[in-house]
Amino acid sequence: MVKSELYTEALRNTLTEIRNACPDINNSFIFTKDGTIVAGDTETADITIKKALNSFQKVAEKAGTIGGLHNFYVNGDKGKVHISHINDMYLVTAISKDADANYLRSVTQVIVPTILKLLESIIPAPLKSGQPQQLTVNTFSEFFASNTVQVDHELLAQWSESFGRKDINEVEVETLGGETTRCRVKEIDDPNLQRKGIIRIPERVCKALEVNKGEPVKIKPIEP
Amino acid sequence: MPRKTKPQEEKIENLPSELESTMNESTMSPKLKLQHSLGNLHTNLENIKNREGIIGYIFRTPKSVSIDLKDPTKIIDYAVLSSTVLEAGENLSNTFELGRIHKVTLEGKDIKMLTVKMDDNHLTIFMDKTLDPDRIHKDLNIT
Repeated sequence: MVKSELYTEALRNTLTEIRNACPDINNSFIFTKDGTIVAGDTETADITIKKALNSFQKVAEKAGTIGGLHNFYVNGDKGKVHISHINDMYLVTAISKDADANYLRSVTQVIVPTILKLLESIIPAPLKSGQPQQLTVNTFSEFFASNTVQVDHELLAQWSESFGRKDINEVEVETLGGETTRCRVKEIDDPNLQRKGIIRIPERVCKALEVNKGEPVKIKPIEP
Repeated sequence: MPRKTKPQEEKIENLPSELESTMNESTMSPKLKLQHSLGNLHTNLENIKNREGIIGYIFRTPKSVSIDLKDPTKIIDYAVLSSTVLEAGENLSNTFELGRIHKVTLEGKDIKMLTVKMDDNHLTIFMDKTLDPDRIHKDLNIT
């Protein structure tokens, strides 16, 4: 088992055990601030996580006004969702309406950071290597047919660093519906669109992937 | 041609305030209850907005928007954030089957915001990070 799998497995087990100990928790999962899903309990479906991540990212994009997103709580008639900032990651917990939110927050915010700290000491920095990123689609049309997508320079640099400073020329793009395609990649050339968490995809490729502007896609680098 | 009878809510709405306050809330129609709650809300909001640490509020009804922010240059940013947060809250509610949303809280590094929803009316209060949004929500006394 590779280190990142060990890390994910340990966190998944932690979340599942917290859920077993606190039946008021219906779902729980963890993702990084760049939108990479780290682990979820065994009961939470992938599509649920992806939808939640999409909602989170829309808020995160606008939260600069209040100094970034730390915690986000939604209270409804039938339940609550808490998204809490823990060690550069976010923990999502969906709990029942009568749950003692303060107690659960105390439990999760003690146990999860402790496990994260422990894992980081045993398995150093497993999440920094060429991890998939979730980005929002921005389309553009090209005179000549091309399958080159554009992402932020910083993301390419980060991937390059994790692959021994080799240039990243290709990426795999995956939609929420599971459609995938391999594309060439370069940095975003329009300064107005840089550092906005978007991926620019030619309209023709969007059509093939059945994805529209504003929708999230997952992108991961192809090792050079 | 016979004159149309006015709806009961409108008649009651025009009663003198001292008489209105003696009415039993449990006998009110949902629409009237909402009007009653909104009346209380405006009063409580006026008290809350002058507290230290309160940055301002945005109150949207289907017909109007009231904005009171200490820094008017941030009106657009705050308005966009407020509607984005509410939309994301509704999406999360659908994803996790939370039912009807009544409160959404967002905490940033510098500022916290509390959004409350009453039917088609949304109130967002922006406050300093040192304040407790739950306390503000309690003081709004939304029934």
